[in-house]
Amino acid sequence: MGYTPEMKELIKRVEASRPERVERARRGEHYPALSLEEREVVLNKFHPDYQQEGRRPVRVGPNKGQAFPEEVAGMLESRSMLRPERIDLSKVDFDTDVLIIGGGGAGTSAALMASQAGLNVIMTTKLRHGDANTMMAEGGIQAASQECDSPFYHYLDTIGGGHFTNQPDLVAALSHDAPLSIAWLESLGMMFNKLPDGRLDVRHFGGSSRKRMHSAGDMTGAEIMRVLRDEARNRRDLITTLEFCPAVELLLDEEGKCAGAVLYNMETREFFVARARAVILATGGFGRLHIKGFATTNHYGATMDGVVMAYRVGVGTNFLYSTQYHPTGVAYPEQNVGLLITEKVRGLGAHVLNIDGEQFCFPLEPRDVESAELIKEAVEKNKAVITPTGRFGLWLDSPMIDLLHGEGTVRKELPAKFIQFDRHGIDISKEPMLVYPTLHYQNGGIAINSAAATAIPGLFAAGETVGGIHGENRLMGNSLQDIITFGRRAGVSAANYASNGVELKKLTLDHVNKFEKELAEAGITNPLIAPILLPDYATDEVSSRRLMDAQMDSE
Amino acid sequence: MSDAQTAPAKSTPAQQVATGDRAILPEGAKTIPIYVMGKKYEVPETLTIMKAMEFAGFKFLRGCGCRGGICGACPTVYRKEGDYKLHFGLACQTVVEPNMYLAQIPFYPANRAGYSLDEIEPTAEAIFALYPELFRCVACNNCTKACPMGVQVLDYISALKQGDIAKAAKLSFDCIQCGLCASRCMGELPQYHIAQLARRIYGKYIQPHADHLAKRVAEIESGKYDEILGKLTEMSKDELAKLYKEREREPDLAPLGTWMPQDTQYL
Amino acid sequence: MKISYYPGCTLKTKAKNLEDAALASMAALEVDFEELPRWNCCGAVHSLADDDLIHHVAPVRDLIRAMERGSDKVVTLCSMCYNTLARANLLMRDDEVKRKTINDFMDEEKDYHGEVEVVHFLNFLRDEVGWDKLRSKIKVPLEGLKLAPYYGCTLLRPKNVSIEPPGHPKIFREFLEVLGARVIDFAASTLCCGSYQILANPEAAETVAATILEGGINSGAEALVLSCPLCEFNLSKKQGDLLQKNMLSQEVPTYYFTQLLAIALGLGGEVCRFDLNDKISAELLKSKSLPSCDQAILT
Repeated sequence: MGYTPEMKELIKRVEASRPERVERARRGEHYPALSLEEREVVLNKFHPDYQQEGRRPVRVGPNKGQAFPEEVAGMLESRSMLRPERIDLSKVDFDTDVLIIGGGGAGTSAALMASQAGLNVIMTTKLRHGDANTMMAEGGIQAASQECDSPFYHYLDTIGGGHFTNQPDLVAALSHDAPLSIAWLESLGMMFNKLPDGRLDVRHFGGSSRKRMHSAGDMTGAEIMRVLRDEARNRRDLITTLEFCPAVELLLDEEGKCAGAVLYNMETREFFVARARAVILATGGFGRLHIKGFATTNHYGATMDGVVMAYRVGVGTNFLYSTQYHPTGVAYPEQNVGLLITEKVRGLGAHVLNIDGEQFCFPLEPRDVESAELIKEAVEKNKAVITPTGRFGLWLDSPMIDLLHGEGTVRKELPAKFIQFDRHGIDISKEPMLVYPTLHYQNGGIAINSAAATAIPGLFAAGETVGGIHGENRLMGNSLQDIITFGRRAGVSAANYASNGVELKKLTLDHVNKFEKELAEAGITNPLIAPILLPDYATDEVSSRRLMDAQMDSE
Repeated sequence: MSDAQTAPAKSTPAQQVATGDRAILPEGAKTIPIYVMGKKYEVPETLTIMKAMEFAGFKFLRGCGCRGGICGACPTVYRKEGDYKLHFGLACQTVVEPNMYLAQIPFYPANRAGYSLDEIEPTAEAIFALYPELFRCVACNNCTKACPMGVQVLDYISALKQGDIAKAAKLSFDCIQCGLCASRCMGELPQYHIAQLARRIYGKYIQPHADHLAKRVAEIESGKYDEILGKLTEMSKDELAKLYKEREREPDLAPLGTWMPQDTQYL
Repeated sequence: MKISYYPGCTLKTKAKNLEDAALASMAALEVDFEELPRWNCCGAVHSLADDDLIHHVAPVRDLIRAMERGSDKVVTLCSMCYNTLARANLLMRDDEVKRKTINDFMDEEKDYHGEVEVVHFLNFLRDEVGWDKLRSKIKVPLEGLKLAPYYGCTLLRPKNVSIEPPGHPKIFREFLEVLGARVIDFAASTLCCGSYQILANPEAAETVAATILEGGINSGAEALVLSCPLCEFNLSKKQGDLLQKNMLSQEVPTYYFTQLLAIALGLGGEVCRFDLNDKISAELLKSKSLPSCDQAILT
């Protein structure tokens, strides 16, 4: 398979400009980065987040009146799959100290910390333990571990990358805890990339002033996830994991404290009442809502469940209108469209080029700026390659990496990516990749404080489901750091809270009734039912023939 | 019921564009027959097994995860017509072929030995004690043949039997723990659990520790940065923007640990 | 008496007439055999074809690794490995049918036909290095040391992989003489050490081990020289058990042949790690003023 003859012809232009570009890179010269003012201009004109089309104000709940993308607004205005009056809350199926909803990196970190405190933990997750965006994060994890770096610069880079919108106490927590997180992972036996003397191998990334990106091959997230999961499995005495069993609604007690959740066994379609003295939401992001129809890098289960549940108990969101488009998603081959190509490729020196093999941007701008520059080159300048399936693509010149760092670097530093393209007949150490921005990350989410606590007593949240840490734009490597930092903080906070004489009163789902009343009052007559739990990719033809649609048509 | 609910995109049907992961059948595209657990479906060629099954109307509960070839949820076994050989791949990464007979193996039982990483001896003998079945390996190599990631499974099992934990850790690094190796093992080894243990022992005990990190941790725990972080949280956007612009950038090609900024007051 | 009848596959197919005759005869004799309701192949197909081929997959794979590197020979130090590799190699050279079966099974590898030769290190020293050259390199002759070479079985049996023509093996004697030792042959030097019986039937293994060790000492040797780690386990590591059970009159020092080679070449005792041998083995070397290991370990 590989590239078509037409595309191979175009690659010659990339090859023609390569020797001169490599020379410049060797001299430490790069394409000039944009000033803060210039960033503003390109973002406003080309970034999907900044365009008003496809957004509308939400009509109910804590964020009433704020505008969100249509797909997100629909979720916030959704109704429960439960009929509260039909659920017997006096019959408790699971009783635990800490209930963790979500089994990804944040949830598992929280589980390890809460169990460390000697508490019983139930971690419930809608797919398998570890099925999460954490697993897919390739590039790395930030922490100011070097002598020339400090939490001060981590703070500054992060808040600058977020256009100074970030919630300050959360950024401080992140940059403070980051080296502690790395040390914790090292103590759990994670295989970081290191120099022979044990020094952590770190790299630059978009928006960095210091080399701060730690990695484990090009599967940093997968390595983190499998180490955390393995450790959780070693603690079976305290941590119970329920798979294929998502939470679908939070439970409060009569005093308004969070007191557990209703769980749904997706295989048997049974509902269960889980009571807990503290609850942690760690359900991940919303990539599978496919905002504006964009392809996504996200996991199958990234459907915004936690935000939906929290919203119904009255916990609002921060920055939920903001979505990160990763500048380099796969544009070709078609089978891999939307999949992430880690920023590490650019960190290692690969240039981004247009159809003529020319550079048109600094390759390591913050992600939103970089995405906007790619969209601009395609949409305004008409300088993108058009793939055989009609998608835009710009070149990412990966063969530069071996030229800059020595033969074999691509295979060594990007093994997973190498295999992925090799399967489709493309050797990325010899041929460039075709990329285009792809929906990557839910920048905003549930409002928390630096202890990972929400406004509801007993309800904590961590990971991609929360908002504020990254403001309106997240830097690479801060998401993996965020799930560890706030996952650990949530675990500790929930354990402290649950150990301090919490007395649960009668369980209730009244908040669900109240929310649905609000929906009716706002004139929302046919709300979606959410959490949707999983996306459905059946064709319209198939779904029109399905039982539910057929029944609805006949009614 | 919930499982009939779909992404909101579905509420605006009839529009034939490829949004998200939904496959479309472009004008003039060819379809090919595939057999999902023995049952025939016509699907567009060039799709992955996963997208082809979704095109056919399957909605995955098991057997679908990251959709990017890294989570190990969708291991799939298939045969091709007229060929006795078994083939292995990830449904999200393998392109459909005409007349392929496939079945997913979303889960395969594999014994996992519990242990305490803090207390374990970092020796091969400790691994043998937890997994004595290592010595049931007859080197048939079915594990390696089944691995969708191209991991040399037999080689890392052999390395462990030879006492080389570091080699096993490195050889097994690309493992996604899908379980296909274990499903094919005549010695009934849980290779991927054994490899996980080897990697963690390597990471904790054999790989040299990062001394500069330990120093930084001590500094943080002593409260060294609390004051400056506190000040940063109080700063106005303009003050922050000024500091942000003034940052020095560590040179790309400076070897690690060699460069220091002019301004060291915030280190 | 209840009797079951097992017909076998061939009598049900190609030789159906033979069974028919038998059944007819039985009826005539008013014998009523009941055919087993569930039966499978008696196994003769497999045993006739000697289909334990899966055991050869591992050694053949190693030989393929050597072939891939373009090697003509692969050298091994352990008698058991030598034996396993050499037998697998012969099978791949000589048995066309099994060769095809194994090559077909390992279809991910290159086909192998016995291209590589398997050589034990002793043969390599004699035939490739040469005794004369080896003698010229000796810096610390093992003078005064009376050694009994122990072959065990896997260097010599089966005879088609024997490292020497059957009869009176002498390669080990020649080797030790080149190192400067006095060599004592003893009758039990080609007995089996007990091998894996040490797990299944320890008493039997202990009996032969005691016979071998006593045999060596009684012939006037001060120590046994070994060429297989499994022999070393049975003859050295298990000596404590033998002494405890009064099956052995005294501790017997043992050395691996490579250890003696190293000290004779003047490489010192450290590389040999005699501290991992029995204490008495190091003491014997020390008493002969030969390099053993440092005093701290001995005391």
